Amino acid sequence: MMSNTKTIEVTVERTIPTSPGEAFDAWLNPKVPGTPWNMAEKLLLNPTVDGFFFWAIKGTPHYGRFTAVDRPGRIQHTWMSPNTSGLESTVTVTFRGKGKDTLMTLVHAGLPDTDGGRSHEKGWNFFLDGFQSQLAKSGAV
Amino acid sequence: MEHLTDVLSAISHPTRRAIIKRLANGPARFLDIAEPFDVALNAITKHLKLLERAGLIEREKRGREVFISLRPEGLRLVADWVHEYERFWNEKLDEFEGYFKQKQRSKK
Repeated sequence: MMSNTKTIEVTVERTIPTSPGEAFDAWLNPKVPGTPWNMAEKLLLNPTVDGFFFWAIKGTPHYGRFTAVDRPGRIQHTWMSPNTSGLESTVTVTFRGKGKDTLMTLVHAGLPDTDGGRSHEKGWNFFLDGFQSQLAKSGAV
Repeated sequence: MEHLTDVLSAISHPTRRAIIKRLANGPARFLDIAEPFDVALNAITKHLKLLERAGLIEREKRGREVFISLRPEGLRLVADWVHEYERFWNEKLDEFEGYFKQKQRSKK
């Protein structure tokens, strides 16, 4: 079924102080902090092409299917959760050598551009946590 | 739009976000801002220049000292823009990067 929902893409990049191979392996290791699978209350993870994952945190389920697992350069999988409003979004993570480090780029595409997604409160919390009150005092909020 | 791009670029780095957080408590001198970070002073100068270019901080001379303070108005631009997943992945990748940095430190 074709969807008329407007979608957006989120790109996040970090330089990770390790080799692309190690970063790649760590990203698929649920014990490593910062991976989506870490801290899951329930986790099923089969990181092979056409393998599925399921994880839940705070009762929110997330499902997906791996579409590329190319060590050490690229991992791609679909991503569905209540936050994608029924749309199958796509997460692509690439690892590229940058000297001794790894340039890690995560692109989350096909996200519904809804009011919920662009929550003011959550958006603010992303970078303002802990000093929102000071900003309010200064009249910026 | 150009200003929004500058602001987004300015807040895209964890060190610069930490500097913003520090300055939200009030104006500070350069060395006080640099003190908690384990990086060269030169790097902090570059971060501050980026924040200044984005209009998020300003410098003020008080006697012989220069104080740096936050101009949070620019951050408002981002409020309508940041997507929930932007926040989610930024937090995740900060954690992931932090894990490897910690590993690197414990090797030394």
